[in-house]
Amino acid sequence: MSAELTFDTASHTADAIQRAAYRFCDRISIELVSDEAAHRCTLKPVGDASLDALIGDFRTEVLDQVLRERIRAETEPIRTMILAQAFSKTGVVDSRGHA
Amino acid sequence: MSRFRQLEDFQPEAAHWELLPFRFERLNGKVLVTNMVGEHLILAAEEFDEVAEKRLPVDSALVRSLRAKHLIRQAGDRSPATLLALKTRTRYRRLAESTGLHIFVVSLRCEHSCPYCQVSRQSSDKERYDMSPEMAERGLEMAFRSPSSAIKIEFQGGEPLLNFGLVEEIVRRAERRNREEGRDLGFVIATNLALLTDEILEFCARHDINISTSLDGPADLHNKNRPRPGRNSWELATDGIRRVREALGVDRISALMTTTKASLDRAREIVDCYLELGLHGIFLRPLSPYGFAIKTKNYSAYDAERWLDFYREGLAYILELNRKGVMMTEYFSAVILKKMLTNREPGYVDLTSPAGIGIGAIVYNYDGSVYASDEGRMLAEMGDETFRLGHLATDSYEEIMTSEALLAPLEESFAPSAPMCSDCAFEPFCGSDPVYHYATSGDFLGRKPESDFCRRNTAVFKHLLGLYESDPSARSTFLNWAGR
Amino acid sequence: MITLRGRSAAFALEAPLSRAVWMLTNRETLTPQRRGRAFLVEDGEEPPDGFDLYCAVDPERVPVGKPWIALPPLLRHLSAGDVVSVSETGEHVRVLWRQESPANSVLLTERCDHYCLMCSQPPKEREDAWLLDNARELIRLLPPSTPGIGFTGGEPTIYGDRLIDLLCLCRNLLPEADVHVLSNGRRFADFGFASAWAGIRNPRMMVGIPIYGAEPTLHDYVVQAEGAFDETVRGIVNLGEAGARTEIRVVIHKQTAPALPEIAEFIARNLPFVDQVALMGLEMIGFARANMEEVWIDPVDYRAELSEAVSLLGKRGVRTMIYNHQLCLIDRHLWPFAVRSISDWKNEYHPECSRCGVVERCGGFFFSAKYRHSDHITAIPSDALTKRDVLHV
Repeated sequence: MSAELTFDTASHTADAIQRAAYRFCDRISIELVSDEAAHRCTLKPVGDASLDALIGDFRTEVLDQVLRERIRAETEPIRTMILAQAFSKTGVVDSRGHA
Repeated sequence: MSRFRQLEDFQPEAAHWELLPFRFERLNGKVLVTNMVGEHLILAAEEFDEVAEKRLPVDSALVRSLRAKHLIRQAGDRSPATLLALKTRTRYRRLAESTGLHIFVVSLRCEHSCPYCQVSRQSSDKERYDMSPEMAERGLEMAFRSPSSAIKIEFQGGEPLLNFGLVEEIVRRAERRNREEGRDLGFVIATNLALLTDEILEFCARHDINISTSLDGPADLHNKNRPRPGRNSWELATDGIRRVREALGVDRISALMTTTKASLDRAREIVDCYLELGLHGIFLRPLSPYGFAIKTKNYSAYDAERWLDFYREGLAYILELNRKGVMMTEYFSAVILKKMLTNREPGYVDLTSPAGIGIGAIVYNYDGSVYASDEGRMLAEMGDETFRLGHLATDSYEEIMTSEALLAPLEESFAPSAPMCSDCAFEPFCGSDPVYHYATSGDFLGRKPESDFCRRNTAVFKHLLGLYESDPSARSTFLNWAGR
Repeated sequence: MITLRGRSAAFALEAPLSRAVWMLTNRETLTPQRRGRAFLVEDGEEPPDGFDLYCAVDPERVPVGKPWIALPPLLRHLSAGDVVSVSETGEHVRVLWRQESPANSVLLTERCDHYCLMCSQPPKEREDAWLLDNARELIRLLPPSTPGIGFTGGEPTIYGDRLIDLLCLCRNLLPEADVHVLSNGRRFADFGFASAWAGIRNPRMMVGIPIYGAEPTLHDYVVQAEGAFDETVRGIVNLGEAGARTEIRVVIHKQTAPALPEIAEFIARNLPFVDQVALMGLEMIGFARANMEEVWIDPVDYRAELSEAVSLLGKRGVRTMIYNHQLCLIDRHLWPFAVRSISDWKNEYHPECSRCGVVERCGGFFFSAKYRHSDHITAIPSDALTKRDVLHV
């Protein structure tokens, strides 16, 4: 048995869907085909897994991955700055002598 | 007085929130959020949505918690970045302190014949299976090349007491060398204690050597795992524990259990056994998945779930003991709690990222081969040399520490850049185990959804967090363990 | 801190005084030393010659032909070793140092950039650098064996480098003294200043900095200044980086008590390198009295929060102490953390205390507790104390 899910490309990236797919790879195998308008996923259960039970979770996971992507993008600059400060030789004091 | 402004006046004007880096996982209808350094907060699902969409009202009480835990900041706040940098730096400080643990396999010979052990040799061929003084000397040279301010030398085997003469020699040479080096030098002997003599104890007392031994639980359990002529492994081990406590001190001996299928129903008995022997800490060790355990039919996926029951039962009993004022630490939980509740590094090489192979601990085998970890050495004994880094006679410190054999697994298994781990809210509590994943799935990274390492750790993290949040007496005990 | 001062009952100086700060000496403590010394006239005998100032306890018994003031009524109990400042004309006298007190605090300024809800020394905007000058003179007069000295304000770091100079002088002239400086810590956000501070290198010196919240809103509200928390925290970080001994103080009152566990968690996770954390009871003077509605809370109402805070800090290795709390109001297992700290403790003050078996060990009351104190003061039987209650320092 298998199921087809569609996600529009406007609000979902392939990366987000792939990350979600990865999390489920022990339970669902996912084939992803993308074109300009949409990402089409074909889901097949792995082993004894029940597909119906998992589809809802998978959709939620895709949304969560979209959110994670946004958080990552938004916080990337501050994260880079924090890591740079953490590993700089002068400690956490910047060049102007302020913590 | 009218001169004093209200609390509301100090709330930020516009809701100009900035997210700080954080990760999240959904847990039973709630959402766990962790910041860059593993501080956590558990939110209701709706609250989480408000945070993610930045539509939390400025007067919300949740805002204060989120700011305090460095999950969000107000534009203009400078201390959050400073503090996160400081905490991050503290958490990674151990990297500058490589390598802390140096394992010398002084002999492969052993008088036990434990079914799961792949390394020991029932032999009296000292020439063939003992480490030579030359190799020992080279091993010490290499150890002192490590930048670490603290160097711990651990004697392993086989049974190290079968080559105690070399142990003595290494200790003396290390101390002599350390007079110039000035490191914090420590020694530990991992032994089954069957061959313990008063002379050995005296030497250990004089040179501040600690003892690590195996204690699987009550006699029948222990002896089944550890056959020896006389069938008295447990009696010798427990007698040895008593003697070490009395001759060296109560803090000078620790015991590790090997968990087998037979252990899984007997958590309380095992803890009681430790208690009766005056041991105040136990490591509820996960089942070993390595080839030898599989060979002896000692491991299966089903058992992983049973192990979790075993762990939860053992921990519950240990917490009950703590409530009664009995000091008993569960070391696996303590390692994780230290990572959850402090910025300090517990120094447990199997649960760190970058992995502890080579940079946390390194193994000098009896024949001079150098391995990235003890499990890596065991794999070699079974024919797989993937984690062999070089040889003391032919390779320099630089060649060994920058070898592809070491760098590749370190890099590939690094969690913050690994699929799924990089998104995982539990990542600050977890670690990379390239040897485990190589042994079970063939590559250093493994596929985390299929990894029992991941499943087990995740279940343990959820269990500990749940207790921390809901049980005040467990929280109190956990804080003690984390702070030690 | 209550400054004792007053108007001289009478005075007769031929000329304006050449200095402001005087150490009192009497017959028992007489030495050939005259500079900076004022003779304390306690009886009708002829006092020794050579002093530039004589302070009479009794306005009826003053030394004729010598420059004298008769001490204000409130100051008649002063003794040798005490230090006073006297105005040029001799009219105003203020006590700077009491030899018998175990904890003298030297006021350096009343100026402050905060306006704390519970401030015990409400700020005044006027120029008062003469207080710093007096402090310098005081240090010069104190014996080198002086065991401790505190510096407070207002905000002492207002003086910048001049404060650092004063503390260097203190280190040099009073090498035995534990030096405790109170500051809101904001100036240390400038790493140059924090570095200069650490450069004083007095191993007995510590700066005490208050934190009143785990995030800006609460702290800034308590101190009535935006941006205070952010700067104070950065100041503490700098002090840590520079290696200067730092104490964090948390005054517990109605606004801060509910947040005490969050504050403790914040300190344990972010500032664990500080030398100690002092959890302090409220002093009912100054603004605290005026703002009683906003700040008063009976300590029994925050017993749980206090225990939680001590647990969150202490178990993770942060040295924690409880100041100014009566033993009957805190959980029993916290007694080892409670410091006996108040010096003006008067045990006939509350009737329960006269019956209490642990009164010797208790933190006691501020004099100002008469304005408001707990409804739950209860005598404790003396067998409640055990050896374990010795404070673990």
